Amino acid sequence: MRLTLPALLLGIGVLVSPGGSTVWTVTPGGPPLQAIIEQASPGDTLKVQAGSYSGPLVVTKPLVLLGTGEPVIQGHGQGSVVKLKAPGIVFRGFRVTGSGNYLDEENSGIEVLARHILVEQNRLDDVLFGIYLRRAHGSIIRNNEITGKMLDLPRRGDLIRVWYSDSVLVENNTLRLGRDVVLWYSNHLTVRYNRISGGRYGIHFMYCDDANIYENQLTENSVGAFLMYSRRLHFYRNFMASNRGGSGFGIGMKDLDDARIIDNLFIDNRVGIFIDNSPREIESRCTLKGNVIAYNDYGVLLLPNVRRNLFEDNTFLENEEQVAIDGGGRLVNIRWNQNFWSDYTGLDLNGDGFGDIPYASQRFFESLMDRHPILRLLLYSPAVQALNFAAKAVPLVQPDPKLVDSLPRVKMVIPVGVPAPPKHKDPTLSILSALLLGVSIGFTFLGRSRKGRFGSIPKNPSHKEAALPMSERPLVQIKHLNKRFGSLQAVKDVSFEVRPGESIALWGPNGAGKTTVLRCILGLYPFEGEIYIDGLSVREHPKDVRQKIGFVPQELGLYDEMTVEETVTFFANLRKVSQSRALECLCAMGLEEHREKVVKTLSGGMKQRLALAVALLSDPPLLLFDEPTSNLDRAVRESFFELLNDLRAQGKTLIFTSHRFEEVRVLADRVLVLEQGHLVADAPPLEAASTLGWKTKLRLYPAPADLARAYSHLQAQGFDVQQNGSALWVWVLPTEKMAPIQALVDAGIPIQDFELEEEGGRS
Amino acid sequence: MESRNLFILALKELRDALLNKWFWLYTGIFIVLSFGLAQFGMTGIGEYGVAGFGRTAASLVNIVVLIVPLMGMTLGALSLASERERGTLLYLLTHPVLESEVLLGKYLGLGLAIFATLGIGFGLTGLSLGLRGGVSHLSGYLALTGFAVLLAFGSLSLGFLISSLASKGSTAVGVAIFLWLTWVFLSDLGLLGASLVLKLKAQQLLFLALMNPAQVFKMMAIHVLRGGLEILGPAGLSAMRTFGTGLPWILTGLLVFWILAPLGAAGVIFQKRGGL
Repeated sequence: MRLTLPALLLGIGVLVSPGGSTVWTVTPGGPPLQAIIEQASPGDTLKVQAGSYSGPLVVTKPLVLLGTGEPVIQGHGQGSVVKLKAPGIVFRGFRVTGSGNYLDEENSGIEVLARHILVEQNRLDDVLFGIYLRRAHGSIIRNNEITGKMLDLPRRGDLIRVWYSDSVLVENNTLRLGRDVVLWYSNHLTVRYNRISGGRYGIHFMYCDDANIYENQLTENSVGAFLMYSRRLHFYRNFMASNRGGSGFGIGMKDLDDARIIDNLFIDNRVGIFIDNSPREIESRCTLKGNVIAYNDYGVLLLPNVRRNLFEDNTFLENEEQVAIDGGGRLVNIRWNQNFWSDYTGLDLNGDGFGDIPYASQRFFESLMDRHPILRLLLYSPAVQALNFAAKAVPLVQPDPKLVDSLPRVKMVIPVGVPAPPKHKDPTLSILSALLLGVSIGFTFLGRSRKGRFGSIPKNPSHKEAALPMSERPLVQIKHLNKRFGSLQAVKDVSFEVRPGESIALWGPNGAGKTTVLRCILGLYPFEGEIYIDGLSVREHPKDVRQKIGFVPQELGLYDEMTVEETVTFFANLRKVSQSRALECLCAMGLEEHREKVVKTLSGGMKQRLALAVALLSDPPLLLFDEPTSNLDRAVRESFFELLNDLRAQGKTLIFTSHRFEEVRVLADRVLVLEQGHLVADAPPLEAASTLGWKTKLRLYPAPADLARAYSHLQAQGFDVQQNGSALWVWVLPTEKMAPIQALVDAGIPIQDFELEEEGGRS
Repeated sequence: MESRNLFILALKELRDALLNKWFWLYTGIFIVLSFGLAQFGMTGIGEYGVAGFGRTAASLVNIVVLIVPLMGMTLGALSLASERERGTLLYLLTHPVLESEVLLGKYLGLGLAIFATLGIGFGLTGLSLGLRGGVSHLSGYLALTGFAVLLAFGSLSLGFLISSLASKGSTAVGVAIFLWLTWVFLSDLGLLGASLVLKLKAQQLLFLALMNPAQVFKMMAIHVLRGGLEILGPAGLSAMRTFGTGLPWILTGLLVFWILAPLGAAGVIFQKRGGL
């Protein structure tokens, strides 16, 4: 070996081998690569070192171009970057980038324009077309990685185009973001081990006979492989998944003859296999065998004119529609044999691996959809499933079967050797799911945690506790209150005032409007007129007003499932009062020992105390009671009554409804008497009783022998008296209950016993 | 309106929901079905991750359309009506809270409870898919989860509207179940019949379907999972042509409308009617 003179002059390293061919070492700082190519002789080798070289390169003699460290051939966005025009060129180890953008000029990364050229281990990016072969018979495109330009799909070029080039091997290339891989007018092609994604047609065959296409991954294209107008294509062990888009076929077969589609996986495509007019020639047939067709919208979609296909040993797994006929109709002369159908409902009792009854594809809704494609809108609808189920139960409405497989398999047949993509190892979904799970479970614990149930009680409550209104202005002012329920006028022009510390009884029969007045004060009803509590309008400041009111209803609306402590805590939070105040109220009502008890287990009296404890939480100046003791027995009533008296003594303002005169008399400063919604009296209890002629019923028990005499004497004295068994009923004014007893005693008629039967009910 | 009161009432409602046997029944069914689907979807040839995911997600759409509206509507229907029936609602309103706080607090609490149900279901399913490698559509899965929550909130709103009108819990639940049947079954059967008898055009069928939030959810879920509505045939293509790139926004807007409109109506009625 020796150095040549021209090489020394050019400043590049050149070695001449004993055989006569020259090895050129090219570096970025030296003369242009194209100049060296021009100078090299056929059969020479150019070792191009890492660095950037300007294109375009045109190679017109059989050279071996070897990149070391991935030298970059830069096309600067103009035309094609590399043109290989002589047979036998080897182009290996380069990065080719920056082709032009003109589709009509078919600007390419590498144009292969002669026979038997080897293009391998190159990386092409930012190229419109990738590797373009024209009349390049016997060439090999191998181990290249090609990424197209980030353009809309219609503006992209084909990442590999094989045009009038027979016996080409396209092997183990990785292609992304192109339009198609086009293989047209070329016979005896081999396309294998390639990974093609993100394009329109992963592989597009036209007029190519006798090709072998195997072990390719065609994913996320509009169509995985579209094979057209070709004969004897052998398509096997390919993986086609998630090809969705305009067409969305795993494989499209159009006008194919004698095609063999064997052992492929069609997964999650819009259509697994689409067949149009294949086979086209009367003597030919297509064979689809051993394929897995799974999770597609349509497993197989055929045009009604398709004939002479054999579907054998395929696995049809959970396709939305296993087999569909485009536009409806019936399939003729297509053989379905020994396929696995995931919707097969028969059994294999003899254990031979095949179902005992034929598989018939006859879903009701599918039949409807095939005839009326518009109904596909209702897919995934529970109604559709119900309809299919109903149709199955009533065979009369079952459609004719689309196909019958007389010997269906009961187990799937999964082909081996299909190049599945590696599983995603991205942990993002797991992490996010775990996060979601954790948060969700956290919510359930938040709801179940005792401390978290109703929030925490503020340590420094903003509420100003024990702030009784000390002014002499009315605490309650009601002006011309009217309330109507439909046609019923429940309250009519009621006006009154209540001063701080006063205790007011609302009195009247059922339906008089007592409860309605209380609820209007609380702002629970819309009403006409004006209500002011401590100077605040109920209508305009309902929340502030309610903060100043404690209310104990007749029908206690406590939450049964809460404990006593939870109840006061919950309402204390709403009223913004402290935990200590809540406990204080519990203690004041004698409930501290029952704090863990659930409300529904409490007696009526304890519930009433609890309601009063809640009413007192914010130490409101005004307390409202709606028939507070009506549901209590006598002992409890008296005890509760004492509590109310204590509150009155503490200066609380009370408004309560009652029908017990004893309560009214002791507790009320004034009685407001309502009749049919009208306020008919506003007076102290005794005065009101006298004015309105209220009477209390006394039951007197004289000795049986004196009964008639006592009756006559009382009648003679002018008392309203009635004999009832061994007793006398006497109605008197509440202030005159002693009068009939005294009258009888004065007449020498002893009374053995007496009872207060009813208070204030008869006038 | 005070956020503090909303929080207190929401927590109480969440707690009540967790004590509700219906809630746990729905939760159990949803979790078992969704998790079971993930397992089932990954069997067979599910080792090709994409396959298991696609099938699981499609089945999840079915389950969500069926169960989530039932859960939302019945729980929502019980919310006000059952408390009104027991008198607790009226008593609650005698305290310093606004009707709107009660309504929204309850809504948030129940919404949180349903979110927890969906979160557990989708979380377990996602975890199962993730650990087994079926994560080809991460964003689609997350979007499906999000839209399921929107559908749940929409049906919850409708439940609240029913509840604001009803005096008894049993009446409200009855009406809710009838409406659920209408949403899920009857309206689709009606569409089917109408399109056959009246020979509806694709766009007409589409617009009728868009009135049903369950259908809207289904379209949205398919759109995010499949990248389009081709699978829904001519009506799906009509939707894509008519609305173009605005389709996801329109579908999302419709779901949001189904949240806000019934809830707003419920608010007006509840404000007027109160605890009675």
